[in-house]
Amino acid sequence: MSTTLAELLNALPAEAETEDFDDVGPQRPLPPSPLADVVTTRIVPTGQLRRMTVLGTLQAKIAAAYTFRWIRSWFQNAAAQEKDSAETHFRVAVKVLDSMGYLRGAVMKVGQMLANFPDIIPDELITTLEKLHFQAPPMHFSLLREMVIEELGDEPANLFAEFDETAFAAASLGQVHRARLKSGEEVAVKIQYPGIARTIRADFRNLTPALLPHRLTRDWESLKSQVEYARRSIEQETDYEREAGIMTRVRKLFQEEDGIVVPRVFEEFSTQRVLTMEYLPGVHLREYLATNPSQEDRNEFARKLLRSGCREMYAGRIANFDPHPGNYVFMPDGRLGLLDFGCVTEYTDSNHWAHLGRINRAMTTGDENDIRNVMIEWGGLTADPKDADQLRCYYEFGRLCWEPYYTPGPYDFSNEAKLRRGVDLFVEMAKKRYVRNHASNLMQFRWQCGTWTLLYRLGACIDATPIIEDEVGAAGWDRSAFA
Amino acid sequence: MRVTEETKLATRSRILETTLGLLKSQGFETTTTRDIASEAGIAAGTLFNYFPTKEAIVMQLVADALDSAEAAFEKRRQDGASLEEDLFLHISTGLRQLRPLRSFFGSVLETGFSPARSANPNDLSEELRTAHIGTVGSILVRHGRESPTGIELQMYWLLYHGLLSFWVADGSPKQEDTFAMLDQSMRMFVNWLDTNGKTQRHNTPF
Repeated sequence: MSTTLAELLNALPAEAETEDFDDVGPQRPLPPSPLADVVTTRIVPTGQLRRMTVLGTLQAKIAAAYTFRWIRSWFQNAAAQEKDSAETHFRVAVKVLDSMGYLRGAVMKVGQMLANFPDIIPDELITTLEKLHFQAPPMHFSLLREMVIEELGDEPANLFAEFDETAFAAASLGQVHRARLKSGEEVAVKIQYPGIARTIRADFRNLTPALLPHRLTRDWESLKSQVEYARRSIEQETDYEREAGIMTRVRKLFQEEDGIVVPRVFEEFSTQRVLTMEYLPGVHLREYLATNPSQEDRNEFARKLLRSGCREMYAGRIANFDPHPGNYVFMPDGRLGLLDFGCVTEYTDSNHWAHLGRINRAMTTGDENDIRNVMIEWGGLTADPKDADQLRCYYEFGRLCWEPYYTPGPYDFSNEAKLRRGVDLFVEMAKKRYVRNHASNLMQFRWQCGTWTLLYRLGACIDATPIIEDEVGAAGWDRSAFA
Repeated sequence: MRVTEETKLATRSRILETTLGLLKSQGFETTTTRDIASEAGIAAGTLFNYFPTKEAIVMQLVADALDSAEAAFEKRRQDGASLEEDLFLHISTGLRQLRPLRSFFGSVLETGFSPARSANPNDLSEELRTAHIGTVGSILVRHGRESPTGIELQMYWLLYHGLLSFWVADGSPKQEDTFAMLDQSMRMFVNWLDTNGKTQRHNTPF
């Protein structure tokens, strides 16, 4: 074993070690799962691993994260010859991760995303990635002051009535500080680490040559499209002006009676790198659940959570593909606050939108054949037997995701077996590369899984059908039953 | 006619102001001492009574900017800041004051700031170095450190010079990369003080 690899392995936390990440772990300990064993011990073929690791998307980070976990167990059990092969995989993963300079953001995203999958959450892997010196440092106040002067033209002390020198939250690409405007409003000021947007662009440029060896493979078009999609998404995330615009737009989608609130943006204190928004008092999911709220209170928040996502999707034609717990504020007055619109996709392609409409129609009113047909279209598949397994996965995953939405009466989102099946399927599809057919599909999976997992963690038991009926209507889709 | 001290000061100040304007509008290379004298309304010979070279005028502009920066730093610094924060703020305040001179600062970077240049106690750049290092020393002492050793100051100055070089060539918007570089450099320096610096302290003859 090389020294480097030994060092890296030493950096891996012990199996029993658990880290208390802010708001990312599951609320209830789950019993040991055979799924976790499968995920952590299965050998990933070299070719597939290489393809996944050279891809600079979050998917690759997850693949690498699985690898870290897997390799540890491998080293405990494997024969010498197999260890050599494992080392190779490990080095590839580390090398690729190390080549991405912006990893502070990406690592956080991976952590948040994986945290939405109870039981296979490699919390310790997030720690490991951080230990492998990928994390950019937080900004101290002297640096932050300079950034505020550059962006807003003056010292925070002159611009704001009060400005908290200590960040109260880490944003994926910067950090958030509490402040009070001279006009009296309590605000949250999100500030970006200097140069991170350009670093990300450079990272993606550097990635292109690494991908070239794959141009003759059957995955090339998908790979290109996914990289481009990831590049665009992460670049958009660095543009706070875009985020401010989306927040302002989404804010208007909700009325007072919805009990859902998007913070108001203060444009005069916002730029491409600084975003000043209304501060929403409240707590995140973990703290909320720690107060032992009643079932009805949890259900009420669950309804709002589901409604907020549907409203954004069907009336706003946008989807926040980052529905992790840190993006929701459980406010003391019962309102649900929505934060962080950096990771948002807008449905501007009318064909894609119409296709989503056909999926919705099939899932809610169609029979098995109708559903299979839209899945074939969605996955770019054929009726050929070679696509049968992929179609089976899509079909089962689609049915599973939609089940709560077309089953009248209270649906128990805390049903662990169903969630476990969903996670199982997701992992299976990721491993078989079935989520790569269309760039936005991975994002769609994230939204589906993320929302469901939040409802699971809330232990929600609600009738989702009236919410879906209310909200989908705004899309203007044909929802009549198939002939 | 006897030239009063007041007139001398006014002329000197006019030369500096004029030079700044000309260097900003037409650049260092194309601005001549003749241009400066003419624009300032003095004879070319008179100019040399005040400054021997164009570089000397630039150095004076730099010295004035850094002098204001020292005062600005004292005003800006806050109790409770960490050592690296104070070191960061000291340099960033200087860069802010130097910003109007950035396009031609390179003309004095090597002669005025290079760690390799030979020290001349009467030199303006030596005065600048002494003042800057003096502040760094007092920052360290304020944070409970011992007075810096020669090698520590040398290491610091290497970083500072490197940063100035980076800043001069920094093409990023609003020189944001310099801020990131400064942040990383000061972290590195403080870490080094905490680890290697201690070892060096016992081994160095400085």
